[in-house]
Parts: sequence; structure tokens; C-alpha cells
Amino acid sequence: MLSKVQRSFRPVSVTLRRLHQSALDVVEHPAPEDSVTDSFGRFIQGVQPHQLTPTLLHRSKRMVLDSIGVGLLGSTTHVFQLALQHCQHMYGPDDISSVYGRRGTRLSPTLAAFVNGVAAHSMDFDDTWHPATHPSGAVLPALLAVSDMLPSNSKPSGRDFLLAFNVGIEVQGRLMRFSNEAQNIPKRFHPPTVVGTLGSAAACARLLSLERSQCSHALAIAASLSGAPMANAATQSKPLHIGNAARLGLEAALLASRGLEASPRVLDNTAGVAGFSAFYEDYAPRPLASPEEEGLQFLLENQDIGFKRFPAHLGMHWVADAAAAVHKLLLGEQGSGGRGHGSGVVGQVQDILLRVPRSKYIDRPFPESEHEARHSFQFNACSALLDGEVTVDSFSQEALQRPDLYSLLGRVHVEHPHDNPANFDRMYGEVQVTLVGGDVLNGRCDTFYGHWRNPLTNDSLRKKFRSNAGAVLPREKVEGLIEAVEGLDRLEDCSPLLEQLQ
Amino acid sequence: MSATLRGLHQSALDIIQCPASEDSVTDSFGQFIQGVQPHHLTPTLLHRSKRMVLDSIGVGLLGSTTHVFQLALQHCQHMFAPDDVSSVYGRRGTRLSPTLAAFVNGVATHSMDFDDTWHPATHPSGAVLPALLAVSDMLPNNRKPSGQDFLLAFNVGIEVQGRLMRFSNEAQNIPKRFHPPTVVGTLGSAAACARLLSLERSQCSHALAIAASLSGAPMANAATQSKPLHIGNTARLGLEAALLSSIGLEASPRVLDDTAGVAGFSAFYEDYAPQPLTSPEEAGLRFLLEDQDMGFKRFPAHLGMHWVADAAASVHKLLLGELGSQGMGQGSQVVGLVQDILLRVPHSKYINRPFPESEHQARHSFQFNACSALLDGEVTVFSFSQEALQRPDLLALLGRVRVEHPQDNPANFDRMYGEVQVTLVGGDVLKGRCDTFYGHWRNPLTNESLRKKFRSNAGAVLPREKVEGLIEAVEGLDRLEDCSTLLAQLQ
Repeated sequence: MLSKVQRSFRPVSVTLRRLHQSALDVVEHPAPEDSVTDSFGRFIQGVQPHQLTPTLLHRSKRMVLDSIGVGLLGSTTHVFQLALQHCQHMYGPDDISSVYGRRGTRLSPTLAAFVNGVAAHSMDFDDTWHPATHPSGAVLPALLAVSDMLPSNSKPSGRDFLLAFNVGIEVQGRLMRFSNEAQNIPKRFHPPTVVGTLGSAAACARLLSLERSQCSHALAIAASLSGAPMANAATQSKPLHIGNAARLGLEAALLASRGLEASPRVLDNTAGVAGFSAFYEDYAPRPLASPEEEGLQFLLENQDIGFKRFPAHLGMHWVADAAAAVHKLLLGEQGSGGRGHGSGVVGQVQDILLRVPRSKYIDRPFPESEHEARHSFQFNACSALLDGEVTVDSFSQEALQRPDLYSLLGRVHVEHPHDNPANFDRMYGEVQVTLVGGDVLNGRCDTFYGHWRNPLTNDSLRKKFRSNAGAVLPREKVEGLIEAVEGLDRLEDCSPLLEQLQ
Repeated sequence: MSATLRGLHQSALDIIQCPASEDSVTDSFGQFIQGVQPHHLTPTLLHRSKRMVLDSIGVGLLGSTTHVFQLALQHCQHMFAPDDVSSVYGRRGTRLSPTLAAFVNGVATHSMDFDDTWHPATHPSGAVLPALLAVSDMLPNNRKPSGQDFLLAFNVGIEVQGRLMRFSNEAQNIPKRFHPPTVVGTLGSAAACARLLSLERSQCSHALAIAASLSGAPMANAATQSKPLHIGNTARLGLEAALLSSIGLEASPRVLDDTAGVAGFSAFYEDYAPQPLTSPEEAGLRFLLEDQDMGFKRFPAHLGMHWVADAAASVHKLLLGELGSQGMGQGSQVVGLVQDILLRVPHSKYINRPFPESEHQARHSFQFNACSALLDGEVTVFSFSQEALQRPDLLALLGRVRVEHPQDNPANFDRMYGEVQVTLVGGDVLKGRCDTFYGHWRNPLTNESLRKKFRSNAGAVLPREKVEGLIEAVEGLDRLEDCSTLLAQLQ
């Protein structure tokens, strides 16, 4: 299939271009080699394995491991099941690309990318970067699907796989820096659906060894498949945002490999005709340095990723850590009264004040579903106040309906201090609890454990992975995956990775 | 799902902040989609929508001969398993999974920019019809929709698009940010499919919301080879949204409403003021198509081209007169006579292309279409072939074109005009002006002209019996008990 894919490139309009060359107004249309769009195509096609520094290898392998783990756990969710059923019923059976955690279940490549992407984001447990997006879930499922698609005797090496992965991450990071709007918690479009689709297209174009212009066209085709509104975040459909980014980016690369062309200036700023700029209010694109020049540095080298300790929106992690600190103080208070948790806490607490950034979609006083609970400052603060931590189990139906929790939710109010911006790099979370006796307990978190400024240790990351992957895989595969990812850049063939995902 | 939780929270809910969902714009759309009845289809609606169905099938059939269609079809056949469900325009025996058939047939429909155009601007039928055909093929033989059900679902898909476009003033003018079919078309397709699949009211609303996350393609890809995929994708992804909703997927229940700080469908517009739809149970529900007819194209190019083509065609007649008096022919003689060409057209960057480099660009070039009509007296399907694009006569004329954007000529399909002013080498000046081209909703194609277009298009790929069979099936569509007669003749 790959050779078919590679042979299908077809040059268009060569004759016409020559006829018009003398008539072209070059001032109006600079040569494509100078465009931002073309610099991206050149980067995708031209970057070399030696440009993966030890830091990049280390950080990106952690991302691959965590993404697989959250995807595996995500394969137990209802929304994943729904997505899988849709693919199995609405398309012919196809035994190509494997589905996370479901032994023997395979789908056509773009459909596998879709369901695995849904799994990765199904619990909002996947990685988060700055500026804000969930980069790995948009890229990894697509690369795994492509790898499964390639013939057994020409699977990518682990190094090629990692390089393509880093290309997909880098492109997302670069695109987000085209706009100031991307710096803050989003209001219009959900970032993974804006940059993630192009990241997936870039990574797949790389792994499919597309030519430079095909890489650019893959980005442009992907742009027409990008952009989902924020309103669908904190609904059951949010995981499909990542599923679609992975799937549609792969589709864009496949169409480009067949010769489909789109706007050669999609990333550039053309007055009167919006390209990728359509998704932003302010837009200032910049070209990528040529891979052949010195000084090309990947963003991941200087800006690490945040990994979550529990499955909820990143903002929740600050209030959870702050509330956990107050919980400890409460235990101290209770200890002196000789009682336990739960109703003991409820009996003590008169009032809860949260000081958090202003962001409508994570400000939910009474969440009505697990999805909304994962996007509720109030819910996560109260859960941590009650239990001392937030975990995967904090979002079960039983946990959501706890009377203790409701009682506390009814006592919360929220403030948005001026010095607390809706920005993952600068926000903080404060929890202030007034006790019935009048005492006031304070907790504050500036940098939660797992944030890029305070990264999870390798130990913590593996513990999270074992817990997640172990929910669906036997122990040998769990350990096998840890080993395969750890040595990924040294694997001659990435099959050991592919074979242990279900 | 969360009935218990809602019960527990009811007393705590801030009602002012969250009005009952039954009052939301989003819910009014769900109610409309599920509740509209066959009797709502007036004779005018039946007439106009059947013409749209016929024209859309015809352009789709012709479109199945294009390279981009072939590319899309190959992608679907190679990247997915064989699936013998929904038929592909013009390719006997070729069937695909339903969403993939909707995709390729949508691509075919828009592949030559020959499909219908409405006001405010979008291409409504190509986003909806391929999806409905795919669904109909999917339903079991003993439960195919009646022609009336099919037409009703079609009209639902058109109406939803029209209503959505009226939520924004931005939609009134030639677009700059998002290509309109990809904004409203996806939701139109979702609505039509939700109707044909008989989804419940809330499922209809969720189908719209799921579709919103699959909407929105930037204008930069218009006038490229990828533009046809915009319509293919809206048909396909709208159908997908309805299918996901049918198995219980939910999304934002207020996607169409204007919620401060969290964009829903409003994300695609600068200004946004949504309006609820009247309940189908009340009197006075009126479809937009009743009052705003559809524009059909006489040749495969962007709608704006039709004004300059008609204006240039009238100048061509005058030129023939000049040439006639000297007893010479067309072509190079025209070139010899013309010193200067001035076009007075609206300001719109993406249809202002002095030297188009591909057929796609040529379909979006005031200059190209004016010069073609100056040379030939008309623009046709053949004006965009590789040979026609490279004609030395044409290139010579293109080099003599200037463009002006008069203040009184807005980038708006309801109010624009096209003027062509040719200065001859002798000094004479010939003028042509078109305010309303033939085929515009103010000057609609006669039934005869529409069928002539259809026969020419469909006849490119189908045998005569099927061409005539389709004309007959569509003409009697609202009386067909079973739409299989339509489905069986598309390839």
C-alpha cells in the first residue's frame, strides 16, 4: 500500500506556470520558498534524527508512555465504546490498525486513529503543554495507525517513529506561537482541534516520507478539517476533538500523498483571504528555521510538558493540591476531636472560598456529569477537601453523587483575583476554608506536582502508567511497553511497541 | 444519564443564568427538525426543492468525471474496507460505506463549482443531498423513505442552513474567513440526516452540536483543488454527527445559543445574534425557500463570474457586429481589435485573479471569465479544459485587463453587478452590463433550461434511459411511495 501511496503523486499545472511566469507580479506573490508554509514543509521533510537531543528523547519518550497509558485506561470509557461501535457498524471490517486495549480488534487506519484518540482524551487525563493544548493524543494514535498500515518488512524504526512524533509536537507548538490569543485559556476554538490536526498531518507526512511540497499541502488540507468550538468541551463530545484531530490529520497526509493540493500559503497572512489565520483574532506567523541551518531548536527542549496526576482539566490540579493541604490541616483539627473523615469534614466547614482565574468553562458550581466534574474548580476542591486527593475514582457515578460532596458544594464561592490570570504558566489556586468555630484554614498552590515547572519523576510517571495500563493489559504487556518505550530510539523496528497495545 | 443529579441540584440551580432548555435557540432547532410535517411543504417549496435535487444530481454526475473526484474515490477505496452499501454517482457497481459515499458524491457535486448558490451565500444542496442518498441506501429495502419523507428531510437541511446564515451580518457578503458551506452545510447535513433517521428531538439538537465540532474550513483553500472536499466533508461529517447522535453521543445543549465566554456555533462569526425557529406546531412557520429562490449556474464557475460573463457576452455580440462589417471570423480577430478591457466588479480578493494557473483558479477569476466570453460569446463547461486555459488568444486578452471596484458595487450576490468596457484599437468604446444574470434567483432558469443543463450533465455518464428516468423520478418525487426509483438510477 505504501508504494501505491508513494506513486500517486501527480504534478499539476506545470505548463501553465511556465506560460505565465513572465506575466506574474512577483512582488505580490513571493516565491513559495520564502513562505512560512513552505518553511514548515521543509522542516517536516528535512529534519534529521541527529537533531533529536538527549533532552528531546527523554521528554518525548515520557510523553509517548503517558499517552499510551491514558489511552489504554480510556478504552474502558462509555464514549470510547460508542466511538468504536460507530466505526464497527458504519464501515466494512478491516484488519489493519489496532485499537487500544481490545485484543484482536483492528480498524481501518483513520478509524483506529479516531478511536484511540478518543480514548486518549476520554477522561481528560492526557498531557498538557504551554501554550495550552493536548499535544500527544493528536499525534500518537495517528502514528501508531500508520505504522500498523506499513508492511511488516518496512515498519519504521523506533528512531523514525520518535522523530515523526517530535515533528508533530513541534508543529503544534510553533503554530500556537502565531497568536497571542493562544496564551490564555481558550474561549473560541478548542486548541487541540486547531493545532492538533496540523500536528497530526505533519507527523504522518513525515512518517509516510512525503515530499516537501506534499508536506505543505498536508498542512493545508488539514486546515480545512480544523477548528471545533469550545462549547463542546466539558461535554461527552470533547474526547472526539482529539480523536478527530488525529484521524483528520492522518487523512490530510494520505490525501496529500495521493497528490491532492490545497492552498500553498495556508499558514501565511494573506490580506482578505483567511488561511490558518481564520482561527485567531490576532495572527503573526513566522517561518521555521531550515533544518539544514545550525540553530534549529525544538520547543520541547525549553518548554517541558505537564502530566496529570488525576483525570481532570489542568486547572483543577492547582485547587486540588491547595485543597489537599487544607484537608491535612482539617485532619489535624479533627484528630484533636477524635473523629474520621467525610461527615466529620462537613460538620466542621462553614464556608469555602476559592481564588482562581476567571474561566467560564471550568467554573461549574454544580456539575451534572463526570465530564462537567472534570471541568469544575468547585468539584475538585471539595473532593480533595473530603478525601485528601483527587483520583480516577473521584469521578465515578457514586463519587459524583455523594451527599457529603453536595453539602460542601453548597458552601463554595469563587473569587477571581486580578493577579490570577487564565494562563497555565502563571495561575495559582487558593482554597480558604472557614470553620464553624471561626478559624480560617488556607491552602495555596502555585505549581502543582506534574506541572512542567515541577515535573513528575520517572517513578511517578511509571506508577501512573502501570495503574492505567494495568486496568486493561496483563502485567507482561504493561512492563513490555515500559521497556519498549524506554528503548524506543534504539529499536530497529517499532513492532515491539505496536504488538503490546492490546 | 444524570437524572438523579439533576433532581438533587434543581433547587440549587441559578435559573436566571440557565434558562430552561426548552427555551433555547438550540432546542427550537431540534424541535423543528423532528416536528416539521409533510403538509408544511407548500407547492412553491416542492417545486423549488425538486429543481434543486435535479440540478444537484446532474452536477454530481458530471463531477464524477473529474480528477479530484477520482482522487477522493481512490482514497476511500484504498484506505477503508470494501462495503457494498451506498452508491457512488455515475459509477455502476461502485458502492461505499455511507459516510464515504456522501463524501465522494459531495466532492463530485462541488468539483466544478457548478452547483447551486443561495443568498446569503452558500452552496446548500451539495451538502445535504449526497448525505440523504447515502442514508436512503443504508436503510433496508422494505423501509426506504417515501419520496415525500426524502423531500421533507432535504428541505429541513436547506432551511437550517438558511436560518443559521441569518444569525450573522457577516454572512451577507462574499466570505473572507470561513467558507460558508463548511460552516452551515455541516449542520444542514446533520439536520437532514437526523430527520431522515427519525431521531428524537434532543438527538436532533445533539446532532447539530456534534456537527459544529466538525465545521469550519478557511477560505484560503477555495480556488484550490481542495475546495470540492469542502462540500464532500460537510455532507459526510454532518451524516456522521447524526449517526453518532443516534447511538447516544451528546454535545453542548446550547451550541447555537450565545453564551458569554464560551463560543459555540458563534465561534465562526464576528457578530452573532441567533434566533429561535418557530415551533412546527404553531401556524406561521414559513420556510425561507418560499421567499428566497435558489440560483442555478449556467456554466461551472463561481457565481460572481456569471455577471461578467453575461456582460462580456453582450460586448462580444457588438464586436461581431464590428467584425461582420469587415467580413472576418472570431478569435484572433477579436484579439486584433481589442486594445483595453476594463472590468467593474465588486472587491473580492479570491475571485480577482489576473492570470489563473489552473482550472480551479480560472473558475474563480473575473478576468478569465470575461475574456472567455469576449472570445466565444459564452462560457461553458469546455471553457475550463486544459486546452482552453492555454489558448494564446486568451492569454493575450488577459494581459489587457484592468479591474475597478466601484463603490456602488458591493461584494454581495443580491446587489452586485458586472460591467465590461472594451476599448478598441480604433478608439471606439463598447460596453456591456449585467445586473441579474440568467439563472440568478431574480431571473430563474426556466424548467426547460434546467432540464437541458441536466441532460447535458447526466448524459456525460449515464445512458439516456437513466437520464430521462431521473428527470421523471424527481418530477414525481413527492408522490413516490418509495425513493428507490431515484436511488437505482444514479449510476
